[in-house]
Amino acid sequence: MASLRMPRRALPSLKSVRTPSSISTSTFTSTHLRPSVPSQSRSQPPQIRPYHSTLHPRLPDHTYNNSQTAILTASLPHIPTHGFSAESLALGARDAGFLDVSVQLFPRAEFDLILFWLASRRGLLRAKVEEGALFRRVADQAGRDVSSLDVEEKCRILVMERLKMNEDVKGQWSGALAQMSLLGNITLSLSELHALSNDILSLAGDSAVDASWYSRRFGLSAIYASAEMVMTRDPTPDLSETETFVNRRFEDKLALNQKIEGLSQCVSFVGNTAVGVGRSWGLKI
Amino acid sequence: MSSHPAWRALHHSAKRRAFQPATPYRCFSCTRQTQNQFKSEQDRMTHFGFTNVPESEKESRVGAVFSSVASSYDTMNDLMSLGIHRLWKDHFVRSLNPGSPLPAGPHRKGWNILDIAGGTGDIAFRMLDHATNINHDIETRVTISDINADMLAEGRKRSVNTPYYNTPRLDFVEANAEHMPHIPSASVDLYTVVFGIRNFTDKQAALNEAYRVLKPGGVFACMEFSKVDNPVFDAIYKRWNFSAIPMIGQLVAGDRDSYQYLVESIEQFPSQDEFRGMIQKAGFMIPGKGYENLTGGIAAIHKGIKPIVKV
Repeated sequence: MASLRMPRRALPSLKSVRTPSSISTSTFTSTHLRPSVPSQSRSQPPQIRPYHSTLHPRLPDHTYNNSQTAILTASLPHIPTHGFSAESLALGARDAGFLDVSVQLFPRAEFDLILFWLASRRGLLRAKVEEGALFRRVADQAGRDVSSLDVEEKCRILVMERLKMNEDVKGQWSGALAQMSLLGNITLSLSELHALSNDILSLAGDSAVDASWYSRRFGLSAIYASAEMVMTRDPTPDLSETETFVNRRFEDKLALNQKIEGLSQCVSFVGNTAVGVGRSWGLKI
Repeated sequence: MSSHPAWRALHHSAKRRAFQPATPYRCFSCTRQTQNQFKSEQDRMTHFGFTNVPESEKESRVGAVFSSVASSYDTMNDLMSLGIHRLWKDHFVRSLNPGSPLPAGPHRKGWNILDIAGGTGDIAFRMLDHATNINHDIETRVTISDINADMLAEGRKRSVNTPYYNTPRLDFVEANAEHMPHIPSASVDLYTVVFGIRNFTDKQAALNEAYRVLKPGGVFACMEFSKVDNPVFDAIYKRWNFSAIPMIGQLVAGDRDSYQYLVESIEQFPSQDEFRGMIQKAGFMIPGKGYENLTGGIAAIHKGIKPIVKV
């Protein structure tokens, strides 16, 4: 499965799926993935257009068919009680009007559920940003203007927002992490992690096209993955412990960045000087 | 030198046949009729190993093969596949995970499994064991259906040693999988056919019948010999198939021809992609790639799900 982007075409039909759960329906049905407001009517300043190449055609929205999406969506409300397990899938299949045996639609069984969870939460995050409410809310809380938030701050907001989406499944997330770290699943898990960090950076308005493109994504992935681990053992109700952890990691990242920058400056200065000295001695460099 | 009389006999019989007229009965008034009859029979030919036989004949020929191998079926399978067939079958059953671990709803009472061509009960007993021991589901039941009475008798004999003997959870039916009027439409949760569909006269008809008897959301699962994808391994495998297996058949079961048919029918069976196309043609949804290769493609598990029709 090359891409696990959030299904969009199949979504309208999902509204009818029952979601019997203690958790509110709106958090789980992915109906507001696509903002209904057209982009022109937004009062926001125009965002930077993301890099687009005609050589790389857009990836297909998703590779799940309608039945699969229906079962997966119906399974999501069962996750807090039954975990990312075959039981959740079977219950979801029942809710969607299928049989227990219909979970054969998922060759990867519960890992498909995990991937769907990751991809759909990522889609929700994108939708929240595109609606423009997320950054505005945070900026209002801090008493600042949205435009004054820099990329780093936006990244931090997005990471925390994404982690908060996992709050309901916090107790089950260690199981999901264990599934994701199985040998056969590592590749897809990592590509999903990359997709998330890539999304977060592009949503935060990062426009780097040099070597830091890689280091930024790598750094953000590391922060997010470690924060997930912390979150699974975070007893505080509003994830404040995780939040302080994330803040510390971002500070570390900044410090590390500064050190690397200083070091590279120093190396280039010394190098330039050495070359200059060599030339003044008559070496043909 | 001992082969000399045999060779002569063969030679003689061939010679004798050559003198026989092509159409034995040839009066002027009915020549055209005879020719037509011959032609229509020619049209409906089907594979029986590498030879072509009329469709009407294949069923009885396959029947003869399996009647003769029924008693030594398990020993032969172990020898031919070096015991790997047990791993395949275990994997097949485990991947299907029959029986629901969750408390069944008011209108759901276990799974209704139909095991086609499962005469000896290999798969059926495994599925019932899995449902009982792993999923603690004592409602799930299996109907074993086979066209061959001898294979069914073998399965009945074995079922005596299982806890399912004489319980409503296990049932034996002698039927042709291409036409099963005794099974109502939309009544089966899981339809399995393991190393059987190769021998069917009309595979597409059997697939269509599977589609009919399955409930919406029900699963068609099939394990069958398939095509090996690695050319080096394929060469070794072919060598084993065409040299070793008929010989083992002759030595152990005393029946070379049946096992010669076996390897030829394996060779004739469509490839993974072609068979997936046939499953799709019957109306099934295909999950993911649609098949899973076992041991480099010697066997493959195919799955299809009957879609739910939205009203």
